[in-house]
Amino acid sequence: MVQTHDILLTLSGVGKSFGGTVALTDIDLTVETGKVHAFVGENGAGKSTLGKLIVGVHSLSEGRMEVDGTEVSFTSPAQALDHGLAGISQELSLMPQRTVLDNIALGREVMRGPFINARATRRGVEAVMERYAMHVDPDARVGDLPIVEQQKVEILRALSRDARLIVFDEPTARLPSDQVAPLLALVRSLADAGKAVIYVSHFLEEILEATDTVTILRNGRHIRTGPTANETHDSLVEGVTGSVLGEQYPEVAAPDRAAPPVISVTGLSRPGVFENVSFDIHPGEIVGLAGLVGSGRSEIARAILGADPSRGKITFNGREISGSIAARLAGGMAMIPENRREQGLMMGRPIVENVTLPHLSRFSGALGLDRRRERAAADAHCAATEMKYASLNDHADALSGGNQQKILFARTTLGDPALLIADEPTRGVDVGAKRSIYDLIAGLAKQGKAILLISSEIEEILGLSHRVLVVSRGRIAGELEGAALTETALMTAAFSGT
Amino acid sequence: MQKTILFARNYGILVVTVLLLVLLTVTTEGFLTERNLRNILDQQSGVLIAASFMTMAIITGNFDISVGAVYVTAPLVALFVENATGNIPLAVLAGLAAGVAMGVINGLAVTKLKVHSFIATLSTSFMFFGVGYLVSDRAVMRPITEGWRALARTRIFELTSATWIAIGVTIVAAILLTRTRFGRNVYASGANREAARLAGVNVDRVQMITFVLLASAAALAGVLGASRAISAQPSDDFSFIFAVLTAVIVGGTSIAGGSGAIWRTVTAVFFLAFLTNGFNLHQIDPIWQRLIQGFVILVAVSIDAWSQRRGG
Ligand SMILES: Nc1ncnc2c1ncn2[C@@H]1O[C@H](COP(=O)(O)OP(=O)(O)OP(=O)(O)O)[C@@H](O)[C@H]1O
Ligand SMILES: [Mg+2]
Repeated sequence: MVQTHDILLTLSGVGKSFGGTVALTDIDLTVETGKVHAFVGENGAGKSTLGKLIVGVHSLSEGRMEVDGTEVSFTSPAQALDHGLAGISQELSLMPQRTVLDNIALGREVMRGPFINARATRRGVEAVMERYAMHVDPDARVGDLPIVEQQKVEILRALSRDARLIVFDEPTARLPSDQVAPLLALVRSLADAGKAVIYVSHFLEEILEATDTVTILRNGRHIRTGPTANETHDSLVEGVTGSVLGEQYPEVAAPDRAAPPVISVTGLSRPGVFENVSFDIHPGEIVGLAGLVGSGRSEIARAILGADPSRGKITFNGREISGSIAARLAGGMAMIPENRREQGLMMGRPIVENVTLPHLSRFSGALGLDRRRERAAADAHCAATEMKYASLNDHADALSGGNQQKILFARTTLGDPALLIADEPTRGVDVGAKRSIYDLIAGLAKQGKAILLISSEIEEILGLSHRVLVVSRGRIAGELEGAALTETALMTAAFSGT
Repeated sequence: MQKTILFARNYGILVVTVLLLVLLTVTTEGFLTERNLRNILDQQSGVLIAASFMTMAIITGNFDISVGAVYVTAPLVALFVENATGNIPLAVLAGLAAGVAMGVINGLAVTKLKVHSFIATLSTSFMFFGVGYLVSDRAVMRPITEGWRALARTRIFELTSATWIAIGVTIVAAILLTRTRFGRNVYASGANREAARLAGVNVDRVQMITFVLLASAAALAGVLGASRAISAQPSDDFSFIFAVLTAVIVGGTSIAGGSGAIWRTVTAVFFLAFLTNGFNLHQIDPIWQRLIQGFVILVAVSIDAWSQRRGG
C-alpha cells in the first residue's frame, strides 16, 4: 500500500500549567497521518499532559494548535472528537456493566424517530469491526473481558466515531507480556489504515520496534523529534534521562540461607484460585513469583497479607500468623498492590496522607497526631524515591503516573518492613526511576529483608530475583534458580499447566 | 485563574457567609445585635451537634437518614426514664444509650448486612420512629421535674447551656477528625475503601464508630431540644435530618466521601441560619423564603460540583 503522510496536527509554542506547576513549555510539533509517533520521557516529563491537550481533556495555557491547517481550541474531549482526535486513556473509560455493543455505539445509536434502531446500530458496529479486522463479541459484558479486549473496545469506539488520530497512553503498562505483540500489531494496522497514532510508553523496545517517529520530552520541554530508525536503546535513554545509564539491574548480594526464613508458607490454598502453595523466603532473598496474568500470583500475595481468606499455614518471623491485615502490617509486612489506583492510593487526598496511612500509630501520642513529625518523615521518604512533586499537600492525582507509584514506595520504606511483597512495582515507571526502584529493592534485600517480587516483565524477574517460583493455574509449576533460571525455562513452566 | 478557582473551592462557603453577614448588617437594624446572634446560636445548637458528626459519617462515604428518628425518639426514652424515676442524669444517660444502641443497629446493617447506608438507615428510621410511639404511648411527654428545662436553658456567661454544649461537641468532633489517627482513617475509608483496607485500616470498625458517634450526637441534640421545649412528642418527622444534611452538603463535603471538613459544615449552618433570620427580619413571605432557600442550596451544590470537576 502506498502511504501518504499528511500533516494532521500542528502544535506551535504550546504550554500548559496547572496552578503553579508548569507541565509543558514551548512545544512545537507536527503529527502525520499513517505514522506511529512515540512520546518518550521521564515520569512527569509531560507526555500524558501533551496527549490530553490534543484530545481536549485539558485546554492549552499557551500557544496554538492546528488541525488540517486550521486553528482549533478545545474545551472538552467531545470537541476534539468532532475533529477526529481521540484518546485511549490508561484508565479505560468504558462502562463495565454494559455490553461491547452498547459501549461502542454509545451516543452513536442509529435512531428511528425517538427510538433506537437496534438492528441498524448493531450493523454499524459490525461494519467497523469488519473494516479494521478487529473482532470482539458484541454481546459480551465489557467488565468480563480481559484488558486487551477492553482496549480493543475503546479503539473501536474511537474508530466508529471516525477518529483520525488516536492517542495511546501507556497501553501496554497493564498488559500481560504475551499480549503486547498483538497490541503493537494492532497499532501498526491503524497507521497502515491511514490513521495518525500517538504512542506513549516507557518500554523502549516497543518504541524502537513499533514506531516511526519519536519525540523526546524532558521536564516539560521538547528535546527532539526524529525518525525512530535513527535511534537506539542507548540514544533514547540518553535523550530521556539526559545522561548515560549504566546497567539496568543492580548487583544483588547473596541471601543468608543459613538463617531461619523470614516467612514460610505451607500448603496455602484458596479453593478455585490457588492450591497447596508452599515456599520460604530467607533474609536478604528476592524471590520472584512469575506466571501469566490470572495464574493466581496476585491472589497468593493478597492471601499472605490477609486481604483474602485462605487455608494453610504462614509462619512469619518465627511465629504462625492468622490475624488481620493491620496486625500483619504491624508485624513487619508491606505490600505494593497490583493496581495503585484501585488498591493503593487515595487519589483525592494529599501525598503526605497517602504515604503515612499505614504508619499513623508511630506519629500518634496522647495529644493526637504529631503532624510536624509525620510531614518530616514523609518528606524524607519521598525524597529517597526521587519523587517529583510540588508540595506534600498536593493530591495524589496531581502527580504523573510514575510518581504516584513512588508514593507507594515511600510508604513502604517508611514502614521498614521485614517482608515486602511488591506486585508489579515498576508499572508505569520510567527507565531512570525503574533503576532507582530496583536499587531500593536490592537495598532492602541487602539489609536482610525478604522480598516477594511479582512482575509480568520477565526481564525484571530475571534481573532481580535470586530464585523464581513459577505459578501456573494456581499451582507452583516450577522453581528455578542459578543456571536453570532462564527465560525459556520460565515460559515453559508458566505455560505448563495450561 | 487556577488560584482563584482553588480559593473559591476551599473558602467559597466562608466568603458567601461573610458577604451575607455584611449584607444583613447593613440592610437591617436587628441583625447584628447581641440578642439576635445569641438566639441564632441557641436555635442552631441541635443542628450543629448532629451536623458535625454527620460530616464525619459522610466523609466515610455513608449517609445516615435515621438521625431524624433518633432525634425524635431518644428524648422520649429519656423522658420515659425521667417520668419513672425523677432522676435527670439517669434520664439523660438513658437517652444517650438509646442513641448508642440505634447507632450500633445502623452500623451493623451497613457493615454486616452490607446494605447501602442510605437504604439501611431509611429502614431503621421507621423502626426508630416506631420505638418512639411505643415508649411514649403515642402521647406528648412532659417532664415531672423542674430541673429538666435547665438542661438546655441554663445561662452561662450570657450563652445557653445548649450553645456551650454545641460548641464543645463541635470542637471535639473537629479535633477527632483533623488531629487523630481515627480521623485519618475516616478520610481514608471514604477516599478509597479497598486501599484503606489493604493499608490496615479496619474500615468496618471506622464506619461503626462514626454511626455510633452520630446517633449519640443526634440523641443529645434531641434531649436538649426536648429540654428547650419542655416536652417531647412522637412523630414521623424527617425535618431535622434535612436541616442537618443540607448544612453538610452546602458546606461542600463531598457525598462521594473522602473529603470535607467540620468548619465547612459549621459555616454552612450559620449561612443557612443567617438566611432564614434575614428573611424574617425583612419580613419576606414564607413561600418566597422556600423558593429562595431551595435555589441557594442548588447554586451552592452546583458550584461545588463544578469546582470538583475543574480541580480533578
Ligand atoms: N491535574 C494536574 N494538576 C496538577 N499538576 C498536574 C496535573 N496533571 C499533571 N500535572 C503535572 O504535570 C507534570 C507532567 O505530568 P504528566 O502526567 O504529563 O507526566 P508524564 O510524562 O505522563 O509522566 P508518567 O510517565 O509518570 O506518566 C507533572 O509534574 C505533574 O505533576
Ligand atoms: Mg503519563
